[in-house]
Amino acid sequence: MLEPEVQLVQQCLQGNGLAWERLVQLHSRRIFNICYRFTSSRHEAEDLTQEVFLRVYRTLGSYRAESGSCATWMTSVTRNLLIDHYRRTKRDRITDSMEDAPQVENKVAPGRRPDQAALDTELGERVQQALGRISPDLREAVILRDLQGLEYAEIQRILEVPEGTVKSRISRGRIELAKHLEEMGLRPS
Amino acid sequence: MDPNSHNWICVDTETYLCDYLDDTLPSEARIQLESHATSCAGCASMVAGVSGLVRQLQQLEPLAEPAQLSSAILDATLGPRRAKSRWRHWFDWLSPLSRPRFAYGALSVLLTVIVSSQALGLQWHKSAAATLNPVNLVHTANRQAHQVYARGAKVFSDLRLVYEIQTRLQPEDEIEPIPEPPPVAAPGGAVVPGQEKQQKLLNISTRKHRIRNEASNVSAGQLEGSSA
Repeated sequence: MLEPEVQLVQQCLQGNGLAWERLVQLHSRRIFNICYRFTSSRHEAEDLTQEVFLRVYRTLGSYRAESGSCATWMTSVTRNLLIDHYRRTKRDRITDSMEDAPQVENKVAPGRRPDQAALDTELGERVQQALGRISPDLREAVILRDLQGLEYAEIQRILEVPEGTVKSRISRGRIELAKHLEEMGLRPS
Repeated sequence: MDPNSHNWICVDTETYLCDYLDDTLPSEARIQLESHATSCAGCASMVAGVSGLVRQLQQLEPLAEPAQLSSAILDATLGPRRAKSRWRHWFDWLSPLSRPRFAYGALSVLLTVIVSSQALGLQWHKSAAATLNPVNLVHTANRQAHQVYARGAKVFSDLRLVYEIQTRLQPEDEIEPIPEPPPVAAPGGAVVPGQEKQQKLLNISTRKHRIRNEASNVSAGQLEGSSA
């Protein structure tokens, strides 16, 4: 008996448009969040999410269920695209850093209490600014572990580094993030 | 590196911080880390700050995705899909009518109505009220039933007539005459009374049979001649 996600992938490969629509609905929010946390820009995150799904659509045949879940595979595709995007836009960012800091947009999901939503918005904005200040290696490790809640083994597969390196990057990323937040006047408690 | 096998230093706190926060650090190492943190203000601040940050990050709600993101992805991958105009939504409930099952059902109902109306003698060009009046319906149905019965009886009697004619003609046509033995003279050469009549009938039948055979031979010859 195949797992539902694997069945969905097989249906997509057989040309079932509804299965593909379901797969997009299942993962688009998660992929968008990863992209947004990495780039700090909704517009860029939206474009990158579309790019991720285009690549997933073209290379879905190369997915192997034995090597991990479809979600992990898609996160891996996302991470590779984010790194490409980071390298591509590095020069632009150096120029931008001389100007004003980018505005962080933070629309939280509907259905939250207003006071909690406001706190989340403020924390989210600060976290986003702090994430933008740490190196991409550490940023992606923290995003995958603390914002996406992935297991170390999954992160290891996505980043293609040993588990010790994964833990080390997460620790250093968290420490730097906490320092930046403290500098912004937000003491995590 | 075994966290239990040496004296704890600040670098170890950073190295084993993930395991400590995940509560997967061996108990001895945990004790060492905590005792080190009591004497090292930097490590204590780091552990407290990071553990608080992790809690806060995990509580952050994921952002809502832009409204048109999924449809943009589907358009980019599956091709642009035809957007439904607003007025079309009003006719969504009619969509089952286009299914073949419904079409067959509607067709069979229509045929049933036509057959029933023909049987009841309904005339749709007349006013519906007069046609559908129960008294008229009963009267028409009764008349139709009588007509159907009369037609049936006529067909039956015709069939019976044809059958009787065939039955009467058949023995003469198909039964081969059985040659009877020549009349046996009664002892002394005298003819038995009644035997003379039988002999006459036999002669007539044999003559008829011969004539028919000749006629069939002649017609067969004509057919051969025409086909040649």
